Amino acid sequence: MIEILQQIINGVAIGGVYVLIALGLTTVFGILGIAHFAHGSVSMFGGYLTFFLVVTWGLPLFAAILIAIVVGLVLGVLIELLAYRPVRHASHINAFIVALGLTMMVEGLNLEFFGHEQVVIPTDLSRVFEIGGVTIPELRLYVIIAAAVLIGAMTIFVEKTKTGQAIRAVAQNRDAAILMGVNVNTIPIVVFSISTALGVCAGVMVGSLFAIAPGIGEGLVVKGFAVLILGGLGSIPGAVVGGLVLGITEALAAGFISSAYKDVIAFLAMILVLLVRPQGLMGKA
Amino acid sequence: MRVNRKAVLWTLALVGFILLPQVITVKYYLHLSILALCWVIAAQGQNLIQGYTGYVSIVQAGFMGIGAYSSTLLGLHFDLPVWLTLLLAPCVTAIFAVITGYPSLRVKGHYFAVVTLAFNLVIFIVLMNWHELTQGEGGITGIPSPGGEDGWFDWSDRQTYYYFVLIVAVLMTGLAALIVRSRVGQILISVRQNETLVGAIGISAWKYKLFAFVASAMYAGLAGAVYAHYQSFINPEIFGVAQSLDAILAVIVGGSGTIAGPVIGAFFVVFLPEYLRFADSFRLILYGLALVLATIFMPRGIVGLVDDAWRRILARRS
Repeated sequence: MIEILQQIINGVAIGGVYVLIALGLTTVFGILGIAHFAHGSVSMFGGYLTFFLVVTWGLPLFAAILIAIVVGLVLGVLIELLAYRPVRHASHINAFIVALGLTMMVEGLNLEFFGHEQVVIPTDLSRVFEIGGVTIPELRLYVIIAAAVLIGAMTIFVEKTKTGQAIRAVAQNRDAAILMGVNVNTIPIVVFSISTALGVCAGVMVGSLFAIAPGIGEGLVVKGFAVLILGGLGSIPGAVVGGLVLGITEALAAGFISSAYKDVIAFLAMILVLLVRPQGLMGKA
Repeated sequence: MRVNRKAVLWTLALVGFILLPQVITVKYYLHLSILALCWVIAAQGQNLIQGYTGYVSIVQAGFMGIGAYSSTLLGLHFDLPVWLTLLLAPCVTAIFAVITGYPSLRVKGHYFAVVTLAFNLVIFIVLMNWHELTQGEGGITGIPSPGGEDGWFDWSDRQTYYYFVLIVAVLMTGLAALIVRSRVGQILISVRQNETLVGAIGISAWKYKLFAFVASAMYAGLAGAVYAHYQSFINPEIFGVAQSLDAILAVIVGGSGTIAGPVIGAFFVVFLPEYLRFADSFRLILYGLALVLATIFMPRGIVGLVDDAWRRILARRS
């Protein structure tokens, strides 16, 4: 029982990371109708940069994360302006191909700047808490808390603020939003800034919990999409449920069945949901 | 006039392919040409689902892996002759494609792409980890060539294999052309143009989408099997997501939704990385950049570019 609880907590931590990735993907998809496939690689760029700033420049972790977020923002906005904007009116296949090309470029950029070594972002958080027999490493607890705070902030931003309303308006009906005076040219930039910032945070979490290496970004973005497929498109609660289901399935599979096949089992869970509920767990039919 | 031009071009291309081994002096280029012909088969399949039906599938290399491993393992464990395993490999791949295609075709557009990508990851993980069957990362060596020991042809000569793959590629290209011209092919094209309308006039689109997906997988399975018996060595490395992206790139760069496109595109994706070799780790960036620029500036691929140029010449003349 304790063992199961232990794995569930591990699953919540990694699930939280997946939710952050998925939130970035779903807001971009809602506004631009683009599967922003390079998101995972951009997140890994953020993770790498944080590692680099901490280890090579000796900056404190939080300063490094802030700088990584800012640089990530610039990268995200550049991607929007230079790559996605030209194909905005093209067919969705073309937009997707551009996204694939971008993924290769960002992965290549990561290799060029940071090499192909596997790196772990060093943190001094090595204490271990014990609650009712379940051990929680300090770092994992902070990751869960940080993910929860970010998800909450994102929800409030999208639901309550004027900009958030504008984002939802463009996602619902672009033409009507233009008529209501929403500037549809700046909204994508705002959306890319926010989703990239969330992505960089997720990248830092992956980099400190596990490791960053070439190729991890692609796996991460696929997990992000899997979360959306699981939870149902376009809803924050759906993403949270999907992320937790995926993370916990993966952790339980790794703990009790096989760590080599944990991804296989997680994807099988996604396929199973697709067969029973094609609209996702929280999606409307 | 237009039909004639096409017929002339295809004949010229065929003659060119037949003469190619006689012209090539560097052995390595012959090797690359054989690889490119394998990719022609895989890309023709990719074109059926991506170019004609409008669904980007990212599992072509994974299906090539299934074809390569099933042909190899069937020969190894059941002592079947190579020609038979070459024919069985696409059938095994088809079974996997039906199982995976049914749930994944329930989601549309980008999400279909992502689900198929997840399949490619799954296939890769299984090939890597199921050591008893696939021998993992180390791979399988000593895969026999189609001729056996005492055949009519000298299979140890690369030229023999070149002509063998050429025949297969020509047949599969012809088959693709037939599929596209048939009623089924026309329905696939209408699914790409307006899937809702296809449903509205009483055609169950999912059957045709599944057909396109399974057919594309069978092409990949055959390509993988042909590849395995050429290299006589396989490991999971070349059946990953990156290679599936190559199949997509071949279709886009060549010209998606055309029969000539995948042929041109396949040679492009095999030879371009060789020429970019000087750039080393910069290669990935250049490759991605080529993909982005190609999609933005020539969305109809090389075939579309040539077509436009030809039309402009004709217009000027008249």
